[in-house]
Amino acid sequence: MQNKKTIFICCGTGCQANGSMKIYQAMLKAISGLNLDVEVIPDIKKTGCHGLCQKGPLVHIAPKEITYIHVKTADVPEIIERSIIKDEVIDRLLYFDKQQNAKVQSKSDWTFEKKQYRIALRHCGGIANDSIDDYIDKGGYQGLEKVLKTMTPEEVIDVIKKSGLRGRGGGGFPTGLKWTFAAKAQGDVKYVICNGDEGDPGAFMDRSIMEGDPHTVLEGMAICGYAIGANQGFLYIRDEYGLAVENMRKAIADAHSKGLLGKNICDSGFAFDAEVVRGGGAFVCGEETSLIHSIEGSTGEPTPKPPFPANQGLWGKPTIINNVETWANVPVIINKGADWFAAIGSEKSKGTKVFALVGKINNTGLVEVPMGIKLREIIYDIGGGVGKNRKFKAVQTGGPSGGCIPESKLDLPIDYDSLIAEGSMMGSGGMIVIDDRTCMVEFARYYLKFLSEESCGKCVPCREGIKSMLKILTDICEGRGQAGDIELLEEIGAMVKANSLCGLGKTAPNPVLSNIANFRDEFEAHINDKRCPAGVCKNLTKLYIDSKVCIGCGLCVKSCPVGAISGEKKQPHVLDEEKCIKCSSCRERCAVDAVRVR
Amino acid sequence: MSESLKIRTESLEIAQKYQPKRRYLLAILQDIQKHYNYLPAEAMETVARYLSVPLVKVYGMATFYKAFSLTPKGKYIIKVCDGTACHIKGSVNLLDEVKMILGIEPGQTTDDGLFSLETVACIGACGLAPVAVINDEYHGNLTPASLRQILEQYQGGMKDAK
Amino acid sequence: MQIIINGKTYAANPGEKILDVARRNRVEIPTLCHSEALPGLASCRLCMVEVHEGGRTQEVAACTYPVTDGMEVVTDSEMITAKRKILLALYNLIAPDSERIKGLMARYHVEPFDRLQADAENKCILCGLCVKACEELGTNAISTLFRGTKKKIGTAFEQPAAECIGCGSCASVCPTQAIEMTEADGKRTIWDKTFELLRCQDCGEYYTTPEALAHVRQKLGDTVGNIEELELCDYCKSRRAAEKLKNGLRLNELFDATVK
Repeated sequence: MQNKKTIFICCGTGCQANGSMKIYQAMLKAISGLNLDVEVIPDIKKTGCHGLCQKGPLVHIAPKEITYIHVKTADVPEIIERSIIKDEVIDRLLYFDKQQNAKVQSKSDWTFEKKQYRIALRHCGGIANDSIDDYIDKGGYQGLEKVLKTMTPEEVIDVIKKSGLRGRGGGGFPTGLKWTFAAKAQGDVKYVICNGDEGDPGAFMDRSIMEGDPHTVLEGMAICGYAIGANQGFLYIRDEYGLAVENMRKAIADAHSKGLLGKNICDSGFAFDAEVVRGGGAFVCGEETSLIHSIEGSTGEPTPKPPFPANQGLWGKPTIINNVETWANVPVIINKGADWFAAIGSEKSKGTKVFALVGKINNTGLVEVPMGIKLREIIYDIGGGVGKNRKFKAVQTGGPSGGCIPESKLDLPIDYDSLIAEGSMMGSGGMIVIDDRTCMVEFARYYLKFLSEESCGKCVPCREGIKSMLKILTDICEGRGQAGDIELLEEIGAMVKANSLCGLGKTAPNPVLSNIANFRDEFEAHINDKRCPAGVCKNLTKLYIDSKVCIGCGLCVKSCPVGAISGEKKQPHVLDEEKCIKCSSCRERCAVDAVRVR
Repeated sequence: MSESLKIRTESLEIAQKYQPKRRYLLAILQDIQKHYNYLPAEAMETVARYLSVPLVKVYGMATFYKAFSLTPKGKYIIKVCDGTACHIKGSVNLLDEVKMILGIEPGQTTDDGLFSLETVACIGACGLAPVAVINDEYHGNLTPASLRQILEQYQGGMKDAK
Repeated sequence: MQIIINGKTYAANPGEKILDVARRNRVEIPTLCHSEALPGLASCRLCMVEVHEGGRTQEVAACTYPVTDGMEVVTDSEMITAKRKILLALYNLIAPDSERIKGLMARYHVEPFDRLQADAENKCILCGLCVKACEELGTNAISTLFRGTKKKIGTAFEQPAAECIGCGSCASVCPTQAIEMTEADGKRTIWDKTFELLRCQDCGEYYTTPEALAHVRQKLGDTVGNIEELELCDYCKSRRAAEKLKNGLRLNELFDATVK
């Protein structure tokens, strides 16, 4: 069966949005319509995210290792004819690697992949996302079997501790230490929870893991259950993540049927079960105590810590909550050992981190890199640099809890501690690249607006502090900024950080404070000169066409939704400021950068 | 059967798929939301009684979580992604365009019941930013002008159907 | 067990919160959402104190943070007071007419924000005491609704609630008098629902609603039999208790009567 080929079709959300399910179905249909030899009929697998969402839908063919990008259903017959029945490579569907200035056959040779190191994403894209057999073939559930047959619970916790694994959900609390608390806590009933309520509005790491490799999460949770003495797990997953919920539920059922969940797993006498709870849609439920209350059937309002969930969590019982990516690391650490894992990464942050690399970047996608890698390497090597050759301004990490890191800090080795030192944080892994057309005041306002809707509203510093800060920022963006506003934002921000009840409030001012620290001049331009240098804040923006630069191509005319631009072909065009709604469509469209901000 | 009684009967059936325990409140409400596209008052009353949970707590849940709507949604639900990647690529301009064309704010439904407008935080299609989803169909790399054309198709399609 | 507050050593018991020890010893820590009768809510965040413990310094809410032996607490450091002032200035935006907040503003020398205007008419600071009181009574007529900056307290569907017994407990625990309760012509109106009022059997003053009385009777059930004190207003209840004391009844009976 050496000739047997496998087609891996990316059916992660990004590629599905681009129509990859249609390609999957077209593939199945086309193959069944051909009278092929059994040996030639390929395995066609729906997989999780391959990484480079920008170029989706992605189709990968093994064993020849051919990766096709931007595949359309119309390409399916040709792919089957030339790359499945024959052994040819279709040149036009290959990825053109700008950095190598060449077409590259296999994704493993893309520059995008070169500096990546996949642990949590190790199976994403490489196994069928709904097949327990694929997972087992890749060594899945060996970690669970190993702990049940050869290790004591204490030994398991010891390995996790020694590995240096820290929580991938944001704060970076040492995972092994957390488990120790729950293991030592009194009680017969304990729980394990997977936080899959990825609410950061620019992140899809956890979603991709749950969609693409659900069993690794279950295996990690079961290992923890054995280590701390818990027999029940809950996976709290955002309800909007339909595919993640579906794949996870199937994974649970399949694991049951193989005896890898349920009673007496691997004849060890250990029992562990898991259940999916669909989240109700509240960013605050990413906070441990809120998430617990939500599972209990209440509103997701946080309660003070202590007591910590490891001692008193779900229904008052000792509970371990880790996020999806943390769980995905656990089976690998058990299999390969603490030393192997601890050798990857930086001194205090071990292993890798998955980021959703998005924004004004050429290679949008999901990347996994060793801790300690420089931001510059992620943005320029993996990400291929800023899109449309614009000027890099900053990169945002940590979502609404994080901050922006300016160009001067691009050589920062990223780990938990270095990001906090810069006023940002690791967060769950959103990494948003920003160019000179993003207004840092408006960007801070964006996060605060999000938080004003997502704060549970329970405690006054968070609810009223955010509201007041948002009011001031909105004033600044709309031209009503006053002298002293920046200082007032800083004062209120410091109070909100210190006095808020839960992690949401304690980090909510970060986007504002870090933008003030790094881009104070932009705030001042808004307040003092009533001008938005990036041309985003509509009240403070005036666009014009530079007649010396305009080539009269007319692209701007077509892009303008209100007909504010006019001009003769090949003559400089004119923009009517009265009609202009400052949507910047023309500026985005202009190939010669003739649309300028006054 | 009156509409109200019908809702009570149906929602009880939905609730009874779960044991009468408080922890299933969220799941039951989600199922009811999926069934009706909103949470009718009678359904919330039925669930409160079935789970022995105070009615005001059910209403508190219904107004806390974003998944729930207290009024029926439109035939086409336009979700403009305002995740960070879409935001910096101009999702606000898309939102302004929809508001201008349909005359509704996020969270509202047009008087003819055709469109509801919502914003969502990251739908995971950042490679296509800015993105809008109309019912289950994704529209990527949008500009105000291209979104206008798409909306006109939906509006036009309806006129033809009538 | 001992803890140090502002440099002085005080005895503390395991399980106690910092605020318990401070209040017992008359160390001043401001609060709005605290009630002796209810567990700490930790929502007003005015009771933040600086804690030094195990080599770490943290700012914590005194009402819910448990004491540990040897812990050092500072209630009035610059770090704490500066933020307390900002927080109180925020409170002033929500409830500018509240006497309690005016008092705290004066006490801690807080100037109102010039830059930000107060909300019109909104006196509720959403501390949650009313909801807790309603829950403790077992009536559950009100709850927090919505979230974020839209959060508010209300009844189901924001309509008059069948569950409400008009007892007024919510209004009486409210630190900012944000719950409107009006009484006129033998009727009480609260949460958009109007109740008849009953007269006290001794003094004849209006004192409660039939619904509230029935609720108490039902809750007490047969355990205490028919307590005639239930039909008395608070004033007459304590007057009778005092008379009983004079008549030489044992102290614990007095305790029982007043508690109930």
